Amino acid sequence: MSLSSSASDRKRVAVTGAKERSTTSTPITLSERSITGFALIRIFVGYLWFQQLFWKLPPDFRGLYPYIIRESQHTIIPGYGYILQHTFLAGCTSLSTPAGCTAFVPLAACIWTAELLVTISLMFGLFTRFGAILATILALQLYVGLAYTEWIWTYGMLVLLALALVAIPAGRRLGVDQWLAPRLQAAGQQHRIARIASWFV
Amino acid sequence: METLRRGLVAGLLAGLVLAMLDFVTDGTPGRLLPEALHWFGITIADPTISRFAGFFLLLVLGGVFGLIFGALQRERIITIRRALLSGLALGFVWWLVFSLLLANIMSHQAPFSLDFGRFLSTFPIDLLFGVVLGAISFQLQQQRRASAV
Repeated sequence: MSLSSSASDRKRVAVTGAKERSTTSTPITLSERSITGFALIRIFVGYLWFQQLFWKLPPDFRGLYPYIIRESQHTIIPGYGYILQHTFLAGCTSLSTPAGCTAFVPLAACIWTAELLVTISLMFGLFTRFGAILATILALQLYVGLAYTEWIWTYGMLVLLALALVAIPAGRRLGVDQWLAPRLQAAGQQHRIARIASWFV
Repeated sequence: METLRRGLVAGLLAGLVLAMLDFVTDGTPGRLLPEALHWFGITIADPTISRFAGFFLLLVLGGVFGLIFGALQRERIITIRRALLSGLALGFVWWLVFSLLLANIMSHQAPFSLDFGRFLSTFPIDLLFGVVLGAISFQLQQQRRASAV
């Protein structure tokens, strides 16, 4: 009698457990292979950004100029061209060279530095999510300015690729974040800055 | 012996990552692989064979650096911090020996001559090789410890 009772209890518990599982999501854990695969993807995406540093090198960032001109002419957002013309292209007299542009070099330096930061962050897995957020912003800006003039998927995919790296902590394998993450999480219990910094690894 | 074996595997894999990067380069995939041959004064006329030879030379050099990495660990259990720092140091040595000294000597330039563009194109990639080498070696150590438990 007692045996039959305990068997029916077990059955009831199993049914309740199954019901609970059907109403809540099962946590997903990435396997070592999956996260290492994502780490490799992160390195290659970082390398894509790395290559694009070389056609617009300092000190004059000349290679960037024709693209800013194109963005100002073909943007898909109204008003964006106006903003470019009164910032990057303020005082410019030529469509082919940045002669006379007063703000082009400092603003181009900001773009180049941001791309360098994305490169270092993604290739070395150092504050990877910060690098991925920055990459998303830069890629969105390219999408807004240039997608209409080239194969539209190019920049759209660049945005999505960066967003995937925001979502997944890909720097915690084959990267410096593997060392940083547990330390920042431990320090984050007491220090607010460490807690905020831990969001970006 | 175990750290040497682990270093060798990690070095070969890091060399593979380094060589594979050249397949997502601007221009023809693999066009920069023959540079590794150039460090040793080797020239192969056929561009396809030259690329394959450069690819395998990078793997071999990766394996050699992996063995050096393993030898430096002296059969100890290493922390991730130590693995990454040792890897970075070896990446720096790689850059110094191959991308700076040998590349300059073989091009008949002063051994330490360097411009910003060349520094930027070689230094981060060689450091990346070191970081990947250290990180893979640590991963292999963790896997072995997990399987032993």
